[in-house]
Amino acid sequence: MEELELLKSKWQEENQNLPKLTYDDIYRLLHKKSASIVRWIFIISIIELIFWILCGLLTPESNVELFHQMGLKKTISITYVFHYIIIGVFLVLFYLNHKNIKTTATVKTLMQNIIKTRKTVTNFVIYNLVSTALMLLFLNFYFFSNKEQLFNLLLTLDDSYQNLNLESFTTVFFITQFVVAIVSLVLIGLFYRVIYGILLKKLKNNYKELEKIEF
Amino acid sequence: MNKDLEHSFVTQLEQNQNIVHKICRLYTNHSDGHNDLFQEITIQLWRAYPKFRGDSKFSTWMYRVALNTAITLYRKSKRRVITQDFEGVSFKIKAQEYDDTTEQQLKLMYAAVKDLNDIDKALVFLYLEDKNYKEIAATLGISEVNARVKMNRIKGKLRKVLNP
Repeated sequence: MEELELLKSKWQEENQNLPKLTYDDIYRLLHKKSASIVRWIFIISIIELIFWILCGLLTPESNVELFHQMGLKKTISITYVFHYIIIGVFLVLFYLNHKNIKTTATVKTLMQNIIKTRKTVTNFVIYNLVSTALMLLFLNFYFFSNKEQLFNLLLTLDDSYQNLNLESFTTVFFITQFVVAIVSLVLIGLFYRVIYGILLKKLKNNYKELEKIEF
Repeated sequence: MNKDLEHSFVTQLEQNQNIVHKICRLYTNHSDGHNDLFQEITIQLWRAYPKFRGDSKFSTWMYRVALNTAITLYRKSKRRVITQDFEGVSFKIKAQEYDDTTEQQLKLMYAAVKDLNDIDKALVFLYLEDKNYKEIAATLGISEVNARVKMNRIKGKLRKVLNP
């Protein structure tokens, strides 16, 4: 076939028009993929930290006042500090994972680092869910054992509680608390499932590819 | 030891990168696609590198892995509408050396080759790279006879496209 032979004869000359990558360009390409996923985990965890700090700052005055009057000021402060320290530790771990994967030299260590990153993320999610659940459990238990004080306090803070008696207040308040707690736990769980789930799945796929590439 | 492995891999890829660039050019239409495919092939090559035992030439092994990657990715993106940018077909020929008809013929031919399906394209690519049928067969994992038959069919297809 004449045209094909013509193309073939010109094919070799095409080499001059091709892009030319340097050693360093190729080296950089090699470490980009998993690194970018882990970088996203790192970035999202920072955004999340900022989000929670903002939430803490934006808690309504009346709520803060309520906690203070219930004698929970110290407990809440300590919990917050403790919580942020732990999140900080996770942030450092995410950063280290990111750095490790970026500079990984071999397939085997890359696989090990991917496993490590997945473990860190899972632990982070578990920590967040468990700590939120424990905090809500503790608060409500505390409120329940001091329900008279709580009711009187709420009476002074908000007039709309006037037409309730202690008994019906207790029922309404704790059922509401319970529902809100479940809903927020589910929402947080869902949030993690979506955000980190996607990233973890990508990492897993990368890992699987690494594991059984056969050409 | 592992650093050495990486060093030898990158060095060899640097020396043989033209092969990958040509595959990228054949399987993608834009420079973004070209760069993405180049990176993907680089990563796949590196992942498969520990299994490269050196009993074949680096470039031979590279043809196989790179084409496999291109074919797999091409399949994934098959549902996308692939527009054929005629003028953009980057086959630059110095105008003064060839008359219009030759240049036109080449452009059409190149466009026709780009329009082939993923497997046929791989075959033509190896053919253009001046591989013999034995090498083509080994690279694509088919028999030599099969390679010949396929190539003849592709030539028929191309002829039909060029002289409708």
